[in-house]
Amino acid sequence: MALTDTISAPPRAELANLRIAFPRPDAPPLEVISGVSLQVGEGEFVAVVGPSGSGKSTILRAICGLLKPAGGEVRVNGTRVTTPPPHVGFMFQKDALLPWRTVADNIKVGCELGGTPRQKQPARVAELIRLLRLDGFENAWPRQLSGGMRQRVSLGRLLAYEPDLMLMDEPFGALDYQTKIAMGLELLRVWETERRSIIFVTHDIEEAVALADRVVVFSARPARIVADYAVDLPRPRHMKALRSDPTFTHLTEAIWSDLALPS
Amino acid sequence: MTDTASTSPGYVASARRRLVSISPTALAQLGFIAALLLLWELGARTLFNPFWSSRPTLIAVRLWELAASGDLWVHTLTTLQEAGAGLLLAALVGIPIGIALARAPKVARTVDPVMMGLYGLPRVALAPLFILWFGIGLFSKVMMAFTMVVFIFILNVMEGIRTIDPDHLDLMRTMRAGRFYVVWRVLLPAVVPWILASFRIGVGLALIGAVVGELIGSNRGLGWYVESSGGQLDTTGVFSGLIVLMVLAMLANQLIGYVERKVVTWR
Repeated sequence: MALTDTISAPPRAELANLRIAFPRPDAPPLEVISGVSLQVGEGEFVAVVGPSGSGKSTILRAICGLLKPAGGEVRVNGTRVTTPPPHVGFMFQKDALLPWRTVADNIKVGCELGGTPRQKQPARVAELIRLLRLDGFENAWPRQLSGGMRQRVSLGRLLAYEPDLMLMDEPFGALDYQTKIAMGLELLRVWETERRSIIFVTHDIEEAVALADRVVVFSARPARIVADYAVDLPRPRHMKALRSDPTFTHLTEAIWSDLALPS
Repeated sequence: MTDTASTSPGYVASARRRLVSISPTALAQLGFIAALLLLWELGARTLFNPFWSSRPTLIAVRLWELAASGDLWVHTLTTLQEAGAGLLLAALVGIPIGIALARAPKVARTVDPVMMGLYGLPRVALAPLFILWFGIGLFSKVMMAFTMVVFIFILNVMEGIRTIDPDHLDLMRTMRAGRFYVVWRVLLPAVVPWILASFRIGVGLALIGAVVGELIGSNRGLGWYVESSGGQLDTTGVFSGLIVLMVLAMLANQLIGYVERKVVTWR
């Protein structure tokens, strides 16, 4: 029964032979994505890695309807994307918090736009503040927070929007190494509590393998998919154990060589 | 009896706290003003003839007389009304125009040369025209103040909207926020500091507009008082008018600073 259900339901996100090109003055359009096909299932955590400038972020912008493809198509929950589709949340590398709203009110933006009934919003915000360990900072202004905390608020806002699909564009890329690892673990903890599909773009191979169910490797521009690995590591994952796990090291090395990086 | 005994120490303590709460900055500012006045007074008593520059004590006496006769309030209120009405009108007209132009870049590009031309025009030179068009009453001065300030609001609001983080707007689009939500929750809050800054700059300009209007044609107001005192070679009168104008600008500036601290707490 469960099997037929998953088969009949359309994938959360589906890219079919997607092509993206940017028009240039006095030159032919710059092709950024050339024929990418990808399916992301319900509750699946997919990481996308690739060299910088390979159009990883561009693909996220196409999935959430901010960008029109030059060819092929994007489907979310089986519906072709032309304008921003419902229940798809975006998290940027910059936190994009509204500086004139407190931590709690920034998270509430997600509730307000995600359609949580007004009287249920405060409880949901309080719940997310607890989940993201922001207790005591409800009334702080964004400028008073560290980079890691700001990204936690940003994650809270994303969850408050109640998305089926979370698009994350190098969300921890601007953080220092320790904070980045801590935030990755935080994301996994939250994701295991509130399971949703994730497409996570990063240039950090270890981060991708440590977090995701699947790692998709992009080539340099114009981007194609050069490899698609299932990450067969048990959950919940622990950073310390991962680093010495042969599957982890094997996978990261394979991706290094896919990207033709000196290992 | 017991009541007064128990309340008076509290009163003393709160009075002392109020004295202490004058910030070192404010103290230094007041000290600077006192030093300038002292230099002026001493200079006019020893170095130069007070006929040219009057003296703070003479000005104080004159202001006292003007206050007692009621003239001070008439002139001050007149100028304040003209400048205040011009400033508010400029805000009411300038803010929507600024928002509209920022949202319609093509229109903004089209009107830009003319607008910058008008902005660069010494609008003081329009005063005779405005007296001709709008008479020597209140309205011509309000319009003078308005033309001085309105561009400040338009240009500041446009710049404020231009500096909005594009990520904020993308975020709103991905979350399918309606136009009303975006204007009310993102655009306006982002622009509030720019509007308050416009008021800060606008106060002085509105006063200039009102006073220039009064210089050209009127029968009351601080500008008129300065002009008519000058005509009678009464430098004490001229400086009395100027001092009141300065105090008005300083008070308005303090008021806007106070509003800024209350409204823009998040900065």
